[in-house]
Amino acid sequence: MTKLNTAMLAATTALAGMAFAGAATAQDTWRIGITQNNVGVDSYQTTYESAFIAAAEANPNVEVVVLDAGGDVARQIAQVQDLIQQEVDAIIIWPTNGQAVIPAVREAFQSDIPVIVTNSNIAEDGFPFVASFSGPDNITQGRRAAEIMCTRFEDLGIQDEAQIVQITGQPGYTTAIERAQGFEERLPEVCPNVTLVESQPGNWNREDAQRVMEAFLVQYDNIDGVYSGDDNMGVGALNAALAAGRAEGITFVGATNFAVGYDAMGRGEYWGSIYQSPVDDAEAALQTALDVLNGEDVPFLNYFDTPKITQENMDQYDRPVF
Amino acid sequence: MTKPTLSGLIKNGAIWGFIVLELIFFSVAGHFWSMSESAFMDFGNMLLLLKQSAPIGIIAVGMTVIMINGNIDLSVGATYALSAVVMLDSMSWPIFAGLGDWVIPVAWLLALLTGVTLGLINGLIVWKTGVDAFIVTLGAMLGYRGLVFMYNGEQPTYHLNWTMVDIAEANVLGLETPSLVLIAVVVIVWLLMTRTVHGRNAYAIGDNREAAVNAGIRVGPHMLLNFALIGFLSALSAVAFYSASGSVNPNDGTLFELWAITAVVLGGTKLTGGSGSIIGTFGGVIAIQLLRKGLGYIGADTETVNLVIGTILIAVLFLDKQLNRKGQEELKV
Repeated sequence: MTKLNTAMLAATTALAGMAFAGAATAQDTWRIGITQNNVGVDSYQTTYESAFIAAAEANPNVEVVVLDAGGDVARQIAQVQDLIQQEVDAIIIWPTNGQAVIPAVREAFQSDIPVIVTNSNIAEDGFPFVASFSGPDNITQGRRAAEIMCTRFEDLGIQDEAQIVQITGQPGYTTAIERAQGFEERLPEVCPNVTLVESQPGNWNREDAQRVMEAFLVQYDNIDGVYSGDDNMGVGALNAALAAGRAEGITFVGATNFAVGYDAMGRGEYWGSIYQSPVDDAEAALQTALDVLNGEDVPFLNYFDTPKITQENMDQYDRPVF
Repeated sequence: MTKPTLSGLIKNGAIWGFIVLELIFFSVAGHFWSMSESAFMDFGNMLLLLKQSAPIGIIAVGMTVIMINGNIDLSVGATYALSAVVMLDSMSWPIFAGLGDWVIPVAWLLALLTGVTLGLINGLIVWKTGVDAFIVTLGAMLGYRGLVFMYNGEQPTYHLNWTMVDIAEANVLGLETPSLVLIAVVVIVWLLMTRTVHGRNAYAIGDNREAAVNAGIRVGPHMLLNFALIGFLSALSAVAFYSASGSVNPNDGTLFELWAITAVVLGGTKLTGGSGSIIGTFGGVIAIQLLRKGLGYIGADTETVNLVIGTILIAVLFLDKQLNRKGQEELKV
């Protein structure tokens, strides 16, 4: 009942606003609940939480209920049920498990509470119950990495003969698949003569990536570039090349700029990456929720921008905290 | 078995008094701190509380029996996870492909069977080797968890069946399936412990094992049955919870043993065995879930919740000790 009234009030306010002031929007206070994956497990998630709270405090029309599932699926499901019970206007969820939360998300959907998924998406079975996904676009990240790599080869004048290898994330993991897909699609478009000689999974793990790279170095006498699914693995590959004394001639490009990658760029050993900020991630999630509540047309996959970062422009970005 | 003493009554009453205190506190505090417009004591919220108490509650009931026996079972969380994995995985086994939705009861049965088997293994080792249950189930906790990881690596086991979700979310008089299961388990095991020979023997064994043996109670088989019971209940808890969620992470149920033990101890059961009650445990479970929910309701974060529950547990044990001592002194007079 309350929710209906709120919605009606919002609608009438919006109508009145449009009628009399033209550009005014709904001035009702929105109550938004968020249940996060596991704050404190890494600094990306910790920064995300404080950025989210800061963004909510900066907006007088928003009240937030901030919850953390602590990585526990059962607790996250209970939190979603609590938020439904508290009749919040929208729920933002960072899934602990992309499948297990689907029934809980459906419950919210059935109670007419829009659900926004943040950072990593839920499984496709749950899409009908989700208003929007706010997070990074991994295909674009892969494509941009290919562009960084190609531009660098052009500067070095080796765009017609370069050979590269790829170290992907965990097999079967959507982020890993999408980044590799974007990279492999874009590379022949910008640098048709660069050959991708081999791809191997590094499982998001630095040691695994190092082992994969050691094998590559033995196998191929000529490696000009390495693309890794994230900087963590990229630094593993870099370490292997440094140990073999062959890092000098290799262009290393990664994604999700980690502090280790940023520092390696500062030392001139690592060439470039994709900058993914938890602050942008958090602010995008809140904004997506507000847009949905204000009845704006929000794309189902609502990506926030993750720009290119290389040795040349890294001074424009803060050192990542993770 | 001793008759309920005055201190026993106070203790049993204490947990309910504590629950009332929590309800009053969160209702009042909610007025000042909560963002929510609905009251904490809202009927729907209380029903939800019962449902959310179910996973740990069902296990805690079994844990009460084990602890009255003077044993402990640390492997319940791993049993819970493994039963869930068997349940969800079996639904996509080719042999059951022709069953349609009838695969659901089959999967449930297999999960329960898994739980009972794991419980029997624990019980058998405790019985036949005489090694302390703490050590046996500590090993089982690691071993069963290892099996969970062997089954599907680090990947979640996933099978979403909307019919099963609908059954799990079905409700009778506002009580959803997990709540009904919890209530049924509490009532049945309470009857078992208060109205049957098995129940009286459980207290006798926990109170004084030597005396129980001398009285002709077959201690080994008795414990075996209780371990089978807690295995069954761990699996039942998994069935009630995972039917509604359809996906299990390999580390699900971690720390469940400690939450269950916390609830049991809060409910007045002694760690040394020989005394305790199912209804008290039910109160302990409700008290913990109420704290979690209430602190979330007034905007406290997860770390605070754990800190508060830990503090209260120690306070309750201290209070219990004081009350017990007073009770004994009173009896002397």
